[in-house]
Amino acid sequence: MAAITSDRAVKNSGVAHGDVLLAFANAAYAAESEADPTLAVAREAVRSAVGDDGFVDACAVVGNFQRMVRIADGTGIPLDGVVSAMTQDIREELGIESYPSAENSSEASPAARAAGRALRPVMMTAFRWMGRRDR
Amino acid sequence: MLYFDYTASSASVSDELVAVHRAFWENLANPGSWWTGAERVAIAAETRRARACSLCRKRREGLSPASVQGEHDHLGALGPAAVDAVHRISTDPGRLTRAWYEQTLAAGLTDAQYVELLSVLVFVISIDNFNRALGVPLEPLPEARAGGPSRYRPKTARMDGAYVPMIPASDATGAEADLWNKNQTANVIRALSLVPDAVRMLKKLSSAHYIPFEEVVNPRFRRHLDRSQIELIAGRVSVLNECFY
Repeated sequence: MAAITSDRAVKNSGVAHGDVLLAFANAAYAAESEADPTLAVAREAVRSAVGDDGFVDACAVVGNFQRMVRIADGTGIPLDGVVSAMTQDIREELGIESYPSAENSSEASPAARAAGRALRPVMMTAFRWMGRRDR
Repeated sequence: MLYFDYTASSASVSDELVAVHRAFWENLANPGSWWTGAERVAIAAETRRARACSLCRKRREGLSPASVQGEHDHLGALGPAAVDAVHRISTDPGRLTRAWYEQTLAAGLTDAQYVELLSVLVFVISIDNFNRALGVPLEPLPEARAGGPSRYRPKTARMDGAYVPMIPASDATGAEADLWNKNQTANVIRALSLVPDAVRMLKKLSSAHYIPFEEVVNPRFRRHLDRSQIELIAGRVSVLNECFY
């Protein structure tokens, strides 16, 4: 999970070619145009790592989330209740609670936070399993 | 004109992606619920223009967007409230506020116009970002078609914690029955529901770019990337945009 906010954490994330994919996401976000040299290097690294079809998938996911973040922040939607309860601690750990758009969501109740903490090891195991199972 | 042939790409783009991009370009050119085809294409053009706006650049670098005053570098086809909305959402979405949204309505946009403007903008951004990441030029915008907007507003939409009215999770019924199954939705799907056609297009684009909505809870869903790889990219793009949701 920490790999989402930290490039250094990706080595322990269990995500295949995570470092290459993160570099690509970073470069695609920052690029002024399709000819950006950093993006060009990242593009070739992704293609080498996951193949052309995986590379196209990566481009599509970048596009998708450049859309979704603006829907969320443009409409001010709060976190859905279940998600809020299960991720309060994770969000604090990742530093996401400091984002300005955090004000659109209310804090989870103590009971909900406790339930989220209890379920967190299950979630982490599931994420690791996802990464290994599908390789 | 045939859009999105992707012959400039050295990697093959799936038929699914090509089809949905063409479907949106067709949709973009047509009158919508609250904007004409010409206005919708103007919103798309302004979305692209916003990337080069010097006011937006200064605001992004400032401690607060409100601390930098000035005029946007714009194309002149939209009113000032619409221009500001396009530029702010495009270039600095993480610092949008309820107060700014309310000022946008006070400046002349209706809530439904805002939602449709937002939908056009984000759909264009997603396709443009795909092209840029892929390494191909942006697609030329389509020629707008004549006709007036439908002015359709779903009766069940109401305020429910967001800035904009949304159809309740339990109320996608009647003409909106296709949007989602009862209570099987998420706020990010409901967010555009004041303009139901926007939700329909969102579902198509998300299904092709990411994961079909009904598969979101399936940890084993994969494309050529596995689910963990998909979510790593998704999470990083969200963090870079400082998106809390």
